[in-house]
Amino acid sequence: MSTSLDTIAAIEAEALQSIGSCATTAALKEAESAFLGKKGSLSGLMQKLGQIDLAERPSFGKAVNEAKARVETELAAREKHLRAQERAVQFEAERIDITMPGRTATAGREHILQLTTNKIKEVFIGLGFEYMESPELEHFDYNFSALNYPPDHPAMDEQDTFYVTDDLLLRTQCTSLQGHVFETTQPPLRKFTVGRTFRNEAVDRTHGHTFHQVDAFMVDEGVSMAHLKGTLRAFASAMFGDDVKVRFRPDFFPFVEPGVDYAISTKKLFNGRWVELGGAGLIHPNILRRYGIDTEKYSGWAFGLGVERIPMMAYGVDDLRHFLENDLRFLNQFA
Amino acid sequence: MKLPLSLLREYVTTPLNAQEIGDLLTMAGFELEDLTGEDESAVLDVKVMANRGDGLSAFGLAREILAKDPGAKPTDLYTKVSGRFENATAGTSDRVTIETETCSRYACLVYESVVQQASPKWLEERLTQAGQRSISLVVDLTNYVMLELGQPLHAFDLDQLSGQKIVVRQAKSGEKLTTLNGVEHELKAHHMMICDSDKPVAAAGVMGGVETEFSDSTKRMLIESAHFNNSSVRKTRKELGLNTEASYRFERSVDPEGVLAALYRFAELYSQISGAPAPNEIIDLYPTKPKQVTIALRPARARKLWGMEISDNEMLTILQKLGFGVTPNSDTFEVIVPTWRPDVTLEEDVIEEIGRVYGYEHIPELLPQGTTPRGGVFGVTSIIDTAKKTMLRCGLDQVISHTMRDAHRLDFNPDRRVLVRNPHSPELQYLRSSLLPSLADAALRNGGKNVRLFEIGKVFVQGEYVIDESPELSILVTGDMQDQHFAQKSSPQADFWTVKGIIEELGKLVGDDVQFALPRLPDHRFHPTRQAGIMVDSGRLWVGTVGKIDPDYAIEIGLPTETYMAEMDLLVFFQNPNTEVKLRQISRNPAVRRDIAFVIPTQVPYSEVESTIRIAAGPVLETVNLFDVYSGKGIEEGFHSLAISMQFRKMGENYTDAEANELRDKIVAAIQEIGGVLR
Repeated sequence: MSTSLDTIAAIEAEALQSIGSCATTAALKEAESAFLGKKGSLSGLMQKLGQIDLAERPSFGKAVNEAKARVETELAAREKHLRAQERAVQFEAERIDITMPGRTATAGREHILQLTTNKIKEVFIGLGFEYMESPELEHFDYNFSALNYPPDHPAMDEQDTFYVTDDLLLRTQCTSLQGHVFETTQPPLRKFTVGRTFRNEAVDRTHGHTFHQVDAFMVDEGVSMAHLKGTLRAFASAMFGDDVKVRFRPDFFPFVEPGVDYAISTKKLFNGRWVELGGAGLIHPNILRRYGIDTEKYSGWAFGLGVERIPMMAYGVDDLRHFLENDLRFLNQFA
Repeated sequence: MKLPLSLLREYVTTPLNAQEIGDLLTMAGFELEDLTGEDESAVLDVKVMANRGDGLSAFGLAREILAKDPGAKPTDLYTKVSGRFENATAGTSDRVTIETETCSRYACLVYESVVQQASPKWLEERLTQAGQRSISLVVDLTNYVMLELGQPLHAFDLDQLSGQKIVVRQAKSGEKLTTLNGVEHELKAHHMMICDSDKPVAAAGVMGGVETEFSDSTKRMLIESAHFNNSSVRKTRKELGLNTEASYRFERSVDPEGVLAALYRFAELYSQISGAPAPNEIIDLYPTKPKQVTIALRPARARKLWGMEISDNEMLTILQKLGFGVTPNSDTFEVIVPTWRPDVTLEEDVIEEIGRVYGYEHIPELLPQGTTPRGGVFGVTSIIDTAKKTMLRCGLDQVISHTMRDAHRLDFNPDRRVLVRNPHSPELQYLRSSLLPSLADAALRNGGKNVRLFEIGKVFVQGEYVIDESPELSILVTGDMQDQHFAQKSSPQADFWTVKGIIEELGKLVGDDVQFALPRLPDHRFHPTRQAGIMVDSGRLWVGTVGKIDPDYAIEIGLPTETYMAEMDLLVFFQNPNTEVKLRQISRNPAVRRDIAFVIPTQVPYSEVESTIRIAAGPVLETVNLFDVYSGKGIEEGFHSLAISMQFRKMGENYTDAEANELRDKIVAAIQEIGGVLR
């Protein structure tokens, strides 16, 4: 009997010693199966149960199980230790140079004028304006007559125009949308557009023959200059930050009365300097009447500004010509 | 307009300095564009709006300062000028005849003797500051009085006027005039002329003639001060190609009531400086007096349109300071518009005057109130926005390029290009008929090797009756479809399938209703056998072309021959967009896959193979994927081998192997019908 118990102790000691000397998890797996596997030396002892005296069987079985439990505990501890060691080696071997360049995503980039347009759209759609488009090659009437330009007026000198025929011209202002809208829509209305305009001007850093404009207008009961100023303030805040201030000064455009030129100023961008953004005003009563809108009941405002001016101011783009040259080194800085 | 501050101070006394005066004028609508010099030698450069001719003088701007600056006071000279030299009188004479309606007033001084001398230093300096050259006292004074009062004057040598007479009339055809700048003009009947008994001697309101101008040898002179119709002056000066200080003012309006005051001011200064005696004749013909304009102003309406509180009294004061006559009634003011303000014709114009002087800085900031219509982007414009997003998702960079450009090998139908009549330069004489030329330019600008570009923009094509303006989408890709990276062996390269795949992706916006067809007439800009027409509406509508660039064009414009492009009309493409999404139930049963490979004549289009499979398999066919195409060794000439994998799935029950094989055999049989032989 005592011999049997001694055998258990000896195998256990052998097992523990063997486990302690295993240097890898693979060796440990072998040791495990050697002692605890189906034919393992420790688990094999149970098969000898039949050869043992009936009276001693319970204590023998208990001793085997206890020894097994101790070996298993040791195995688990040893495995945890070895696994940690092996992982450490593996991780060291798998070290990469994280300073090497990342792989560029394959999605395309939007043009800076598109990004600016998206931002403009967000503001006006949020204020209940509908986005619309009208032709770039426009009839004289929509560009001038419908906008209350008297025939042969000096105001037209300020808008040197490209003509394709006597009647067709490249629109000089996106305000040309107004006539199209008024022909089909009665107030209350809020519309805006972003599009391309053309002037036959000398090209330099701040002037181009082709540029983009945002033009918005609304007609409703009780619309006043205060609503115009508030809207422009909201717009300017969205583009240039919350501390923006808006200044109006009188200006003349045939399609508004009163007409204003508006400038903005922010501490961060312009150091308190006033920077002119565009023209605005209350829609001229002649225009409203032309489309049968009752000017006693309704009034409206309109404003327009150059889209390029926004990134020029916000990002310090110093030359208008960059915008339509499509140099990706320029464009990729924004998107 | 450049205005010396010293000249302005002759008309208004104000404690404001030059910068403050400039700021005040800016806020009154006369923008200070530049300020040079300091203190009394300061010169204000003021931008005068196109409708405010009355602001083109020291007197006119003084009026604005007096209205807006509570500390300003008028000078005696201002009072005298605004009272039009109270006792100014003039007679009529047969020396002057007006024969045209475009001249409403003609006045002049006649001097039987002339003092010839140079201008005093102060006068010369002020003219120089205003950007004018000093010539002689008489000529300088005509210019100086114009700066003071805005009324152009002209000095004639009386002895050079045939008959010593003035006739204001339209030119007769065939008449000629050589103007002061030495240019001879052929005149037309609609040109208004100042003439003597025989011939034109000056273009009315524009420029004098060289033969009759005041000179060193002038013994007797006639000083003209007149009022001409602004659009007539504009027309004449445009056609004669002249632009003068006088025409600039007449076009923008000159006060007809100030005509005589200007002559009196001239006579006063002339006599003060040179000691010359009074003029021998003062003549004034005034056939057309301006109509008095009376406007009913409702102060309540002014408050409503400004959205700010301005009292009736404040309105009254402002209007009176600006020279408007005002009779206040209970809720309406009767406002008489002064003759120097022809731009004021409506109640809204008067309302603007009030706000302008009251100060725009007082306008509160409110967001729009009342009915909010639906905001958003709708219709085709909205779908085009989605198309842009699809392009970006496909890895294409957006470019935006010019509308006006030069002719280009990639233009769409060169015969139908649209010409600009007055181009900016010969290189910008066409409206783009295609976006491909500018995409090619952009590709080259960016190295021309590995670029993936798209543009969406308007193109213009001369149609049978009208010019078509349509939004177009163009794509140009070449080289790597993904930037090279050290951790991958190679980048996918742009090819026909790249561009076709992008168009197919776009096709999802129209319910996958995109087909590719052999073009009836190949597009010469594309490789003749590697291009396809893009069709929508079940193949009925042609919308554009996709393909490889024509290799000769590619070489000519410097692009790789492996350049692939697409061009399509978005308006047609989105004519019947299928934007409706219907939910398909998802089967939870496993799918089974079957692959088949067969040899088939190359002339059988793949589209026919696929539709044969789809018809044979029916709705259980989940996907079809062509995974290999092989021709060459072991395959007969004119044939190729296609390997296709298919996935079947049923709803609510599993496929057995036997069922899947049965379906595969059915498909194989159908393919045999169209000439395929199983490998």
